[in-house]
Amino acid sequence: MAVSSLKLSRRDFMKVTAAGVAVATGLLRYAKNNNFIKKAEAASVEEAKKEGAELVKTVCIYCAVGCGILAKVKNGHLVGIEPWVNHPINGGKLCCKGASINHTVTSPRRLRYPVIKRNGKWERISWEEALDTIAKKMMEIREKYGPDSVFFAGSAKVSNEAAYLQRKFMAFWGSNNVDHQARICHSTTVAGLGNTWGYGAMTNNFNDMRNSRVIFFLSNPAEAHPVSFRHIFEAKQRGAILICADPRFSRTAAVSDIHLQFRTGTEIALIWGIAHEIIKNGWYDKDFVEQRTHGFEEAKKVIMQYSPEVAEDITGVPASLIRKVAYILATNKPGTIQYAMGATQHEYGSQNIRSFAILQLLLGNAAQPGGGVNAFRGHDNVQGATDMCVLSHTLPSYYGLSESAWKHWANVWNVDYEWLKSRFQSKDFMEKKGFTMSRFSCGVLAGTDAFPVCEDLTIDQPNNIKMIFMWGHSTPALGDLRYVKKAFESVELLVFVDPFVESGAALADRPDGIILLPAATEFEGSGSVTNSGRQIQWRNKVIDPLYDSKPDVWILINLVKNLDKYDAGIYRKFTKNYGYKTPEEITPEDVLDKEILVGARAIGMIGQKSSRLKKQQDYDYTFDPEDCRAKGGPCDGEYWGLPWPCWNEEHPGTPILYRNDIPVWEGGHDFRVKWGTEYNGISMLSGINGHDQATVDDVVWSKNLETDYKEILDQNMVPSGRGRARFYAWNMKDTVPVHREPIYTPRKDLIDKYPTYDESVYGEFHYRVPILSRVLQQACKKVNLADHFPLAWTSGRQVEHQGGGAGTRANKILAELQPEMYAEINPKDANDRGIRDGDLVVVVTPRGLEYGAGVAKVVCKARVTDAVPPGLVFLPFHWGGVFQGKSYLDRFPVIDDMDTRPLVAGDSANISNCPGWDVETQMQNIKSGICDVMKFIEFKEPSGLEETMDIIMAEVRKKMKG
Amino acid sequence: MPLKFLVDTHTNLCIKCKACEAICKNYNEVPTGIYRIKVISIKEGEPGQLNIPMPCMHCTDPPCLKVCPMNAISKRADGVVLVDKDKCIGCGYCAYACPFGAPQFEGSGAFGSKGKMDKCTFCVQPYNQKDDGRLITKEPVPRCAVVCPTGTLLGGEITEINREFRKRVNSYMSKGLIESMFMV
Repeated sequence: MAVSSLKLSRRDFMKVTAAGVAVATGLLRYAKNNNFIKKAEAASVEEAKKEGAELVKTVCIYCAVGCGILAKVKNGHLVGIEPWVNHPINGGKLCCKGASINHTVTSPRRLRYPVIKRNGKWERISWEEALDTIAKKMMEIREKYGPDSVFFAGSAKVSNEAAYLQRKFMAFWGSNNVDHQARICHSTTVAGLGNTWGYGAMTNNFNDMRNSRVIFFLSNPAEAHPVSFRHIFEAKQRGAILICADPRFSRTAAVSDIHLQFRTGTEIALIWGIAHEIIKNGWYDKDFVEQRTHGFEEAKKVIMQYSPEVAEDITGVPASLIRKVAYILATNKPGTIQYAMGATQHEYGSQNIRSFAILQLLLGNAAQPGGGVNAFRGHDNVQGATDMCVLSHTLPSYYGLSESAWKHWANVWNVDYEWLKSRFQSKDFMEKKGFTMSRFSCGVLAGTDAFPVCEDLTIDQPNNIKMIFMWGHSTPALGDLRYVKKAFESVELLVFVDPFVESGAALADRPDGIILLPAATEFEGSGSVTNSGRQIQWRNKVIDPLYDSKPDVWILINLVKNLDKYDAGIYRKFTKNYGYKTPEEITPEDVLDKEILVGARAIGMIGQKSSRLKKQQDYDYTFDPEDCRAKGGPCDGEYWGLPWPCWNEEHPGTPILYRNDIPVWEGGHDFRVKWGTEYNGISMLSGINGHDQATVDDVVWSKNLETDYKEILDQNMVPSGRGRARFYAWNMKDTVPVHREPIYTPRKDLIDKYPTYDESVYGEFHYRVPILSRVLQQACKKVNLADHFPLAWTSGRQVEHQGGGAGTRANKILAELQPEMYAEINPKDANDRGIRDGDLVVVVTPRGLEYGAGVAKVVCKARVTDAVPPGLVFLPFHWGGVFQGKSYLDRFPVIDDMDTRPLVAGDSANISNCPGWDVETQMQNIKSGICDVMKFIEFKEPSGLEETMDIIMAEVRKKMKG
Repeated sequence: MPLKFLVDTHTNLCIKCKACEAICKNYNEVPTGIYRIKVISIKEGEPGQLNIPMPCMHCTDPPCLKVCPMNAISKRADGVVLVDKDKCIGCGYCAYACPFGAPQFEGSGAFGSKGKMDKCTFCVQPYNQKDDGRLITKEPVPRCAVVCPTGTLLGGEITEINREFRKRVNSYMSKGLIESMFMV
């Protein structure tokens, strides 16, 4: 290649130009803060004052960028929004969701009061009756079937305090069957990044991306996180190269310099192709690898098997392009890797994420400004809810479920460990992982006759799930919706807590046994939210709860109070740290300051007192958007949002994880010592200034509730130690990532060479359910499934909607901007099938064949576009209200003055996702599958599949019995 | 100096997040079906895709003003082009004259029952300016340009946005130069 001959000269040239760029940078920053924008803020504040309105600072409720918004309140009514121009993260910038947010909050389609479904009709009930009915039913189930028969789906949409209380509630209830969106969103990030370098979160932050010289996208932030482009384009202006890897030609690809169009589900092969080139040419950062990492040789052995040519065969990306990207990454440092759902939602999701981290370790980009691995998270507080561990396998702050973890939290909660244990079925169940969002429906349907295979299905708990809470969790985001629908119809009681009527409440076709509680939106309550970059912001209450809705914290504490009637003493135990106050008196500040910041030490969530967060908000203008740090003023030196770890009340926060070139007091950090100080005789401590994790008064740092770590920080030591990042993770199922074909793959020829995980890897029970993987892949090969379903299937997002879309589809502006569900299909595939743009089509997938339900169908419009390559079909997943072509809008509550039907409805893409569950975290696969598309008017059930279904089911049965 | 919009199509920035469309509808309470600003795409889904937000450009010499038979369209001293809805008869001449498709009509289609013309006002409020001799002193702030996360849409005083734009183009040009020299 011509470039290699220019290698040196180019490098040198860039060094010279770096000075020039720096000058230009200064000027540009000035331009960004130009007079015009300043005037804009002054004008809007002045205007509001004249009108008699008040502007309240708050944080957007959609994605995890954490944009600030000024809510315009007049006489207690939310009348509009204004851009918050001084906000360091978004500087007044918004996307269409944020720009129309007041119409979501004040939507007439909100649920106004608690309702219950009786005899096929929705009826209004009072809060007292609703909560009492729920509490009574919970106790009845507890006595009859045990505490594990309740499944609680928490939320990433609520504040840190509410999320924390949800986890605490289930701990006091005595079950680990609690989970939330993070399971099906970024759980593989936590496993993948956590096992590489200690913490499973975005390493840098959005603002820091402007320091990058190259940005490698593995998702589509243009549609999922539009405001991040404020910083991405800032980097572009300073000369950064944007590389987008995406199976579709997305809007991100359209503004990128290079597009790598790989086959869905082949990230590891693509990354290894690049890493191969970097190692082969000696472009990796040898000092970094030697001093701060472990296991390079093991990783090298695997990586060297994937030459760019091998990667080309697997991914479909030309080897020359892979080489070019490797060269760009090696010569432009620092570079960052950005990814989201596209990489995480696979059965090998944890390994995908590990491969990104390993590439950054090789390049020496890890732990640097402008580098790192930036996991863009989905919901406004999904990072916070993950940190609060509304998860079935760990207690808040990732302590796990071991006895010592329970003792730590019992200590924080001021309750007796023995009492907590008595709440559970047994000690064994106390330390056993619970059901997850991906497979909880198995816990309902095991042993029933709901589907042919369910009879043979066994679960790892004595009784099935009999009651489901869906607290701010959407149903369309769950995979295999037909199974979920059946589960919703089979339990004794379904409770939905949501500002809107979540599609699941109407999806369940049952005459009774559903209670809907109207939660207030996040604009109607206060609390802290953690954005993707670990920055914690205080969200002010904008207006009083509308209609008869209540804030989440109120609902939860009142539920405990109602339980107290049947389970005496629980309320006093639950509220001990808040001074036994009544539900009305307990504030989010109590919960944050008195419990979370005391207990959540393992992630360093210690110094983010509510008073500090509020002070930052008042002095927002002192923070420099360049590095998010306050220059002068009362918050001098603090980083915006006090990103964790923030070791004590004087610590400024750690905006960039693992950065060891600055003092810990200034935000320095290092790779965590998490897997011992030695492995096979090789030290796991950093080669620069390594030390083991600290102990204070003979208690390990994370479990000592008394200390403020000042002595440790003064010695420039990190309480979590200064260790090494791991190329080789000996405790994972794949010690080094290897390519594995998706279970249902269009590339049958690769199955033998790159098979998926064997069932034995998952063990007999994986989060209490048996998991099938290789048996399905082998069956797929045996019956040539790909011949029946020749197209690849993938799903994703639309910029106008979010999550399950209950909120956005009830917003009149967003509903107008994007009124339709569609399937994107390439003109070639469309023409082969006689499909024209806008035709009604059926997307058919083999989902359901494995449990005898027949093929899955999604009915929607065709969007014929070159954005998807030939052989790929793309579906957005936000839609509900239609199920396999049949509308169920008539099952939404419509009572007198209240109409809760969404303004726009569509079929749910996740009816048709293909099977696959991550081996570490049970993440569902909703990104790679196979399908076929047919015209709706010509549609008939695919013939000849009965036999195929029988063969697959026979294999499945054989496996489950054997 | 006059107020203007400047849409940066030079460097392919717009990601079609539609913030401009949403904030416009939100702030100005634009009725359903009317888009005072709309993002259009050229070559969607192909390399070279270009998204362009299209508001009223508040032309220096507006053709709509010239063709209006009712003299309903006026240009203020600060450059903002406004339509007086009391005078407008909904003939649609302005729609033909405008090279950007800025004039919008509530009715369906150009030949249907159109209703009165509606277009971007540069966020001047209230929309219906009664000619009572009172000059609006408040400087209008186009919300779409303030919220645009990519900086595609610049709005404001023309010399100011020109300066910003020029800087931007320079930085891209130097980048392009490096790339063409080293074939990245």
